[in-house]
Amino acid sequence: MSKNSTANAAALIELRAVSKIYQRGDQVVKALDGIDLSVPERGMAAIVGPSGSGKSSLLHLMGAMDRPSSGEVRVADQLLNTLPESALTAFRCNTVGFVFQSFNLIPNLSALENVMLPMEFAGVAADERKRRAADLLEQVNLSARSSHRPRELSGGEQQRVAIARAQANNPRLILADEPTGNLDSKTGQVIFELLKQIAATRTVLVVTHAESLAGMADRVLHIKDGRLSPETQPGASVDNSLK
Amino acid sequence: MTMLRIGMRNLWRSKLRLVLVAALIGAPFFLLLVMQSIGDAVQRQTETLKQNVNNTLQLRARGSMGHVNMVGNEDILPQDALAKVKGVDHVAKVEPYLLAMTPTEGHNFAMVVGVDPRDTRRLESHGEAGNPKILFGRDLTDEDRGKRIAIVGQGIAKWAGIRSEDVGRATLTLDLKRTHPVIFALDNPAVTLTVVGIYASGYVFGDMQIFMPLDTFRQAYGVPEGISWLYVRADSADNLPAVERQLRAMLGEVADIISPTTVAEFQSTATAAVQRLANSGIALSAVLMVLVVFFVMLLVVRERAWEIGTLKAIGASDSGIVASFLTEAVLLCAIGALAGALLFALWGGALAQLVFGLGVSPFLPAQYSSLAATLSLTPKFGTTTLAVLIGASVFAALAGSAWGIRQIVRLSPMEAIRHE
Repeated sequence: MSKNSTANAAALIELRAVSKIYQRGDQVVKALDGIDLSVPERGMAAIVGPSGSGKSSLLHLMGAMDRPSSGEVRVADQLLNTLPESALTAFRCNTVGFVFQSFNLIPNLSALENVMLPMEFAGVAADERKRRAADLLEQVNLSARSSHRPRELSGGEQQRVAIARAQANNPRLILADEPTGNLDSKTGQVIFELLKQIAATRTVLVVTHAESLAGMADRVLHIKDGRLSPETQPGASVDNSLK
Repeated sequence: MTMLRIGMRNLWRSKLRLVLVAALIGAPFFLLLVMQSIGDAVQRQTETLKQNVNNTLQLRARGSMGHVNMVGNEDILPQDALAKVKGVDHVAKVEPYLLAMTPTEGHNFAMVVGVDPRDTRRLESHGEAGNPKILFGRDLTDEDRGKRIAIVGQGIAKWAGIRSEDVGRATLTLDLKRTHPVIFALDNPAVTLTVVGIYASGYVFGDMQIFMPLDTFRQAYGVPEGISWLYVRADSADNLPAVERQLRAMLGEVADIISPTTVAEFQSTATAAVQRLANSGIALSAVLMVLVVFFVMLLVVRERAWEIGTLKAIGASDSGIVASFLTEAVLLCAIGALAGALLFALWGGALAQLVFGLGVSPFLPAQYSSLAATLSLTPKFGTTTLAVLIGASVFAALAGSAWGIRQIVRLSPMEAIRHE
């Protein structure tokens, strides 16, 4: 084994020459163009870039929501390119937790039930589901709102429920796609701080427009036209310039 | 389990939509129950006829039609045949008839039937039809025995110029000396009968009969004893062959014994035609239900694409998501079916009559065109209805959701992002 492979084993996420091409009618759109990236276990990384730069596409590939057109995506020692759909479903259930811009809570379930949902998919026993979901809601200071439906919660509260849900199955990776996009700046700050806390025990990758919030991350990855900026290419140290 | 619960809860997300969709599914289900009730009613009618007719044998004098004034067919059964037949094992009922013919204009002749007022008024050549419907006036009763009283078919009434308001006062005179190529004259005075009722049989020749009490017939036609036809009903269809064997052994020398064939004829015409139409109606209703479910599920899948994507993104399997949507579809159909069943309980009978009159009767053989009048089309709920309710709900839900399910399976978890 080479030194490089040892380094790879330590990384939670390894992307090698990853490209993603979309076909829109006759037009070919290259969303990602030969991305190489290594993200270690634990810590918070922010992916920053203008609209259409490919930052969300990058996040989706790492979360097994989409497949690359070429290259390798390896997360938690699993090569996602080759996994069948059922294995990708299991991967999304156990290895990764998603936080969306629009919260994406299931409208007709309570906060507690929303948090319990991924555990149900993972086959966790009912009592354990309920106990863990209550703990997670307590961690995001929403114990008192556990029986409320999403429409009865504020945007910030909904996003905190979504963060609790993302941790339900104790995943190694949390992916947050513009988690503050629908929130005011003060609430956005609270959400980022929460994600930062979570990053102490797992890897948190956040896509954001907000450079000021991105500065809270341990590492900032700049992306433009589907390519990572040179200073954030693998091998570069954690960019704390915005801290 | 949670996915099924989500499916159940999704049902109540828009109550207005639920009501609308339940009505849209309920309407074809209502039609389905109506068509089923028509099919069942005709089936029941056939079953009743089978019980009555399949168990019944007809005896006539050997080689004769048994009409007392019909050329070459005037031989009748001896009177003691009645007592002999009554003594046969497994004979439940014996009904003696006397028959004659009388010339009429337009239809050549009419049938004159002497019958015990308590017995079935069978129509010649359509004996299975039994007890035609009294349109005006009344039927024969025990008090009419020996009296010059008759009920006539509406064809006879028309021929004789008897109007509905004349019933009870109008008289009909039978000239027994009038002849016809197949009718010979009897040396008896004319008979004047008071017409107390007019009936409808459902076919032209059946409406050309005159029923009078058996005793009246004997006096009028001078037949103190003897029987034209003897209807013998066995106590069950199983015992019919045994009864027939005994009768042949006992009366084979003097009587022709005729086994029932008319039910088969009825079944191959009316029942089959109605069942065909009812089944077409049921199929049409089922297709309508499937179409409603199809469009509703298509709309729901489009509307909730982000939710499906989210569920996939957080680890739900396709089968779990499909189960939740199928639960919703089945419940939606079940609610629609219940609404349809409720409508059926309230107005099913009336609509069944209307549908039968407008949509089924015109396609029946002419002699059964008035079958609706004798059918019991009142709504009946039982295990069959329940089975139809459950079966149709599940079928419509599965068939109607098939395309929606395909869409669900094809949806990417990326749909969760498109919500944004």
